[in-house]
Amino acid sequence: MAEETIYQRLQAAGISRRDFLKGCGGLAALMGLQQAPPVAASGLPAHLARGGDPAPLIARALATKARVPVIWLELQDCAGCSEALTRSHSPTLVDLVLREITVEYHETLSAAAGFQVEAAKQAAMKQYAGKYLLVVEGSIPTDGIYCTIGGHSALEILQEAAAGAAAIVATGNCSAFGGLPKARPNPTGAKGVLDFIEDKPVINIPGCPAIPEAFTGTLAHFLIFGGLPELDELHRPKTFYGHTVHDRCLRRPFYEAGKFANTFDDEGARQGWCLYKLGCKGPTTYNACAGIKWDAGLSFPIQSGHPCLGCSQPNFWDGGGFYQGQSAPLDRPGIGVAAAAAGIGLVAGAGIAMANRAQKRASDDGK
Amino acid sequence: MNWTSFLEFTRGPLFYAALLIFIAGMVYRLVRVIALGWARDRVKSRGSKLGGAVRSLLKGFLIWPFIPWVKNTFSRSPLIYVAGGLFHLGLFVVIFLGAAHMLVWKSLLGFGWPTLPLPIVDWLAVVAIAAMIVLFINRLVHPVLKLISGPAEWLNLVFVFLPMISGYILTHHLFFRYETAYSLHMLAVDWLLIWIPLSRISHFMFYFFAKAIHGAQFGKRAVAP
Repeated sequence: MAEETIYQRLQAAGISRRDFLKGCGGLAALMGLQQAPPVAASGLPAHLARGGDPAPLIARALATKARVPVIWLELQDCAGCSEALTRSHSPTLVDLVLREITVEYHETLSAAAGFQVEAAKQAAMKQYAGKYLLVVEGSIPTDGIYCTIGGHSALEILQEAAAGAAAIVATGNCSAFGGLPKARPNPTGAKGVLDFIEDKPVINIPGCPAIPEAFTGTLAHFLIFGGLPELDELHRPKTFYGHTVHDRCLRRPFYEAGKFANTFDDEGARQGWCLYKLGCKGPTTYNACAGIKWDAGLSFPIQSGHPCLGCSQPNFWDGGGFYQGQSAPLDRPGIGVAAAAAGIGLVAGAGIAMANRAQKRASDDGK
Repeated sequence: MNWTSFLEFTRGPLFYAALLIFIAGMVYRLVRVIALGWARDRVKSRGSKLGGAVRSLLKGFLIWPFIPWVKNTFSRSPLIYVAGGLFHLGLFVVIFLGAAHMLVWKSLLGFGWPTLPLPIVDWLAVVAIAAMIVLFINRLVHPVLKLISGPAEWLNLVFVFLPMISGYILTHHLFFRYETAYSLHMLAVDWLLIWIPLSRISHFMFYFFAKAIHGAQFGKRAVAP
C-alpha cells in the first residue's frame, strides 16, 4: 500500500487530471517556485529537473511518489499549530497536502488512544524507519518531571522518534525556539528541538501558531524534491521566512511617511497608520504573515489593527513587552539600581578627591 | 551567535551595563570637578550672582543662536559656528523628538511626549551627519586645530559618528538586514554611553555648570554678558 502513488490515490478519490494539475500549479505558486530548481532528488528527467515551468515538475513528482508518512509529536504545546493547520481555509492546497501525507501518529487527532496508539507509533516507526517525517509541536523540557507521555519523558520520546526520521519539522515557536514555555523564568527548562537534535536535518516553521501554508508548503517541498528547502540561519525555509513582516506590510508607506498610531483608538489608528509606536515587532520579524496572511488571505494581525508580536522570532515572549516600542531597550535599570550606580560614582569621586587633598596637604606640610 | 541573539544582547544586558557605567561615570566626573574646590569669595557682590547665572543660560539658548553675528566666535570662524550649531540642533531633534528615540526615553522615564514627523527628523539627521563630516574635514585641514587635536579628539568624532550613521542606515533599511543594522547601532550607542564619561563629550553636562559659573561672575560684578 505504501507503494501506491499520490496521484493514484487522488484518482481513486475522484480528483480529475485537470484538478490535479491545477493543484500542482497552486502548490508551485505557494512554494514560490518561479523556476523549478535543479534537484536531482526529484528523480525527474534532466530537462524537467533543470528548470522551466515548475507545475509539470510537481505533477510528475506527485504522480510517481508515494505518500510521506508523518509522525507528529506534541510535547509542551497547546495544539494551536495543529488547530491552525486543520482550520486552514485553503482547501485545494491543504486537502491536497493532507492527502499527500499519512499522519501515522498524532496525539490529538489519532482515533486510537492509550497503549494502542503508542503501539501504532512504534509500528509506524519500524515500518517507515529512515523514511518518515517527524513533526514536533511544543517545547522540550530539560527537567524530566514535566511532560511525560506513556511513562516517558518528552526528551526520550523526541530522541526515540528522531532516530529513525528522514527529517524533522519543528512547527510553532515552542518546538523551534522554546516559545511560551521558555519565557522567563522558564520553570521547566524548556528548549527547542535544535537544542537536542544535531544529527538530523531540522526545519523550523516558527509562529504562534505557524502559518498553515508555511507548514504545508514546506511539507510539499520535502515531498516533491525529496529534500529540505533552502533555510536561513535559524533553520527556517527562506520561501516563507525570507522577508520581514515589515518588508511586506500594508502599513509600510505610513512608516516611511512617519505617520504612526499613538494609541489604539486615536485618529491614526482609525486611519490605519503604522503601529510601530504601539510595539510592532514587524521590522525584526521574519514571517509570511503580510504576504500569505491568514484564513485564505483574509487578514493578518497588523491589518486587523494589532502590532506584530514577533512570534516567529526566538524569545519573543521576553522581547521587552508586546506594546513597548521596538526601539526601547530590553532591560533597563530600576530607580534603585540607577541610584546605586550614581552612589558608586559619588563615593569614588569623593574618595579620590579626599585622597588628593590629603596628599596635597601632606606635600604642603613637607615644604 | 546569530544577529537576532546579538541584537538581544546589545539591546538588553549590554545596554543595561553601559547605562549604569554612564550614570556612575557622569556622577564621578561631576563630583571630581566640584571637589576641586571653590575660591573663597571675599569681595562684596555688586549684583545678583543667581540672576547672572540665569541670564547667561537663557541668553546662551534663546538669544545668541539667533543673532550669532554679534559674537566673535561667529565672525572669526563662521564654519565651525554654523556646522557646530547645526550638528547640535540635529542631534537634539533626533535624540529627543524622533519617534524611535522618544520610545527609549518613555521606557526609561515612564512618560513620553509628542514627536516630530519622520521626514523632518530625517532631514535634520542628514544635516547633523553632514555637519559632522564638515567639522571632521575642518579639523583635518585647519592648521591650528590640527595642532591641538590628539587621539581623544579624533576618537570623539568617530564614536559620535558611528551611532548617527548606523541609525540612519537602520531607519532607511540600507545595506544590511534590519536586525544587523539595529545591532550595530546599539553596539555603537552602548559604546558611546561608556565613552562619554571618559571623554570631553561630557561637555553636554558641564556646559551648563560652566555657563552658570561664568554667569554668576558677570552677575556679581553687575556686568551684562
